[in-house]
Amino acid sequence: MDEIQNEKVEQLVNYIMKWSLWQFNSREWDREKQNEEILKKTMQILCDEPVDNGTPEARYYWSEAMILSSDFKTNFEWISQMKKTEIKKLMEDLKNRIDYLTITGSLNAELKVKRY
Amino acid sequence: MPYHTFKCSKCIPERTKHAVIKGHGEDLTSCLPLGYLNTIPGSISERGCAFCGAKHVIGTPMKDVIHLCHGPVGCTYDTWQTKRYISDNDNFQFKYTFATDMKEKHIVFGSEKLLKESITEAFKAFPEINRMAIYQTCASALIGDDMDAVAQEVMNEMPDVDIFVCNSPGFAGPSQSGGHHKINIAWVNQKVGTVEPKITSDYVINYVGEYNIQGDQEVMTDYFKRMGIQVLSTFTGNGSYDDLRSMHKADLNVLECARSAEYICNELRERYGTPRMDIDGFGFKPLSESLLKVGLFFGLEEKAQKIIDEETARWKPELDWYARRLKGVKVCLWPGGSKLWHWANVIHEEMGVEVVSLYTKFGHQGDMEKGIARCGEGALAIDDPNELEGIEAMMELQPDVIFTGVRPGEVAKKLRVQYLNAHAYHNGPYKGYEGWVRFARDIYNAVYSPIHQLSGFDISKDEIDMDNGFVTKNIISDAEIDREASIANNEREYTGKYDCVTHLREKTY
Repeated sequence: MDEIQNEKVEQLVNYIMKWSLWQFNSREWDREKQNEEILKKTMQILCDEPVDNGTPEARYYWSEAMILSSDFKTNFEWISQMKKTEIKKLMEDLKNRIDYLTITGSLNAELKVKRY
Repeated sequence: MPYHTFKCSKCIPERTKHAVIKGHGEDLTSCLPLGYLNTIPGSISERGCAFCGAKHVIGTPMKDVIHLCHGPVGCTYDTWQTKRYISDNDNFQFKYTFATDMKEKHIVFGSEKLLKESITEAFKAFPEINRMAIYQTCASALIGDDMDAVAQEVMNEMPDVDIFVCNSPGFAGPSQSGGHHKINIAWVNQKVGTVEPKITSDYVINYVGEYNIQGDQEVMTDYFKRMGIQVLSTFTGNGSYDDLRSMHKADLNVLECARSAEYICNELRERYGTPRMDIDGFGFKPLSESLLKVGLFFGLEEKAQKIIDEETARWKPELDWYARRLKGVKVCLWPGGSKLWHWANVIHEEMGVEVVSLYTKFGHQGDMEKGIARCGEGALAIDDPNELEGIEAMMELQPDVIFTGVRPGEVAKKLRVQYLNAHAYHNGPYKGYEGWVRFARDIYNAVYSPIHQLSGFDISKDEIDMDNGFVTKNIISDAEIDREASIANNEREYTGKYDCVTHLREKTY
């Protein structure tokens, strides 16, 4: 990841950390699913792609993604200038970084507890 | 790892990993204290016990219930009358405290008979209430009283009554958080699915992890109702016992305090497929986005936006008046669990205060992850602090005000640090748009209270300037304020009523 891309990712990470809660569900498997679904749907919304919201579960993820994508567009005007391929790469890098901070690199010893 | 060692805790080396300072470039992979572990012997913790967490945090806010403590009388009193979990049925659960009042002879000979007598006596004394929760304590757990059997026996003899049994003795976990977990699971196992509710809307939620502190639940429920949403139950503030038995019928679980109630949301998601949506009811932006998020889920986003626009127009100028005067105020954010992350960022963003420290009495590492992610660089984060550590932190950080509970709050006062009650509030509710202004007003009144200035003088030795008159808080706060800009911006002090909750109970939707 080049420096400019890294800076953009960190800005988005910082925003999510300051304003969102969905990335901090209490178990590793739950965080994996939350990060995957919400960031995928956010990417789809930002790229004007169709988004599945047909089940209650999908609709929940979509609701979170609608808020996040709107916030990204409002707070980071440079996103609107990006091509769809660039947005997809940006969101992929963002997902990897969020996964690292909340799951793979996390110091939270409770993440691997099997029961809630 | 940026661990912080308190001078006062050098003799307790295990404490080293319970405090960190968020330095430049630190993130959650390098900066996170240990959490939710047994308090270390020698460290005088501020924690409560698992009985208290089950009964006094989660069980007792249920409003139409006789809450009976099966144990010595002291347990049932323990912290309960410091709470402010109000309800719209004349605060029944608040006014009356029930205990079996176990004595030494019951420990020796057993107290199941006493329990049964107490249950029937309570039902007879309050015939209008036919729901009961009974809570185990350390004493009744250790002697092995079978509370479930006694409750079932009474229910067989009195078919109109229903009893919930909570087995969460004080020793059942490192802190009150162990009790939160136990009562969540007990409720979903014993009671959810045992009542079929009347559904009155196409949009149905459970509002979870909300305890109606000074009316928080009633303010938030008003917003949901204005959107056309049926709030089937609230877990548990101002919540009705039978409504909570029908939680399985909601379309969405809207979760406020994940620390105390994520368990039941997770279980409902697993068992009934009901999604869990975490929200923030504190602060204009988080609250607005929370309402919008719930609205989006149901296709009610336009109604949500209308509420957001109306409430923001009404209350933002008042928030701005306080924010202008609170900029740079140093805060120690020292609540029990969830408020450390609910408030850590938004009080800085919307009021301009600086969070110099955050701590949690009973939070888990997950709570610290949220709190540390949301606070700024340089903040000192402490897990399960002891009193001496709190004092040392206040002396080093010199905060203007701390947001904490009654006990550490009184310690702070002795150091001439103002405190606001983060658990029960001073002049709440603090949720909702108006509530957020009331919180700002309380911070303002704490920081700029003239008595706080005067309390620094020792009249036995200090020279007192008798020529100057009494300095009001406005004189102190406005010394460096651009008042013209404030006026041009239509900023004004809080104009709401003393009681902003009761009128909501008369409202029709």
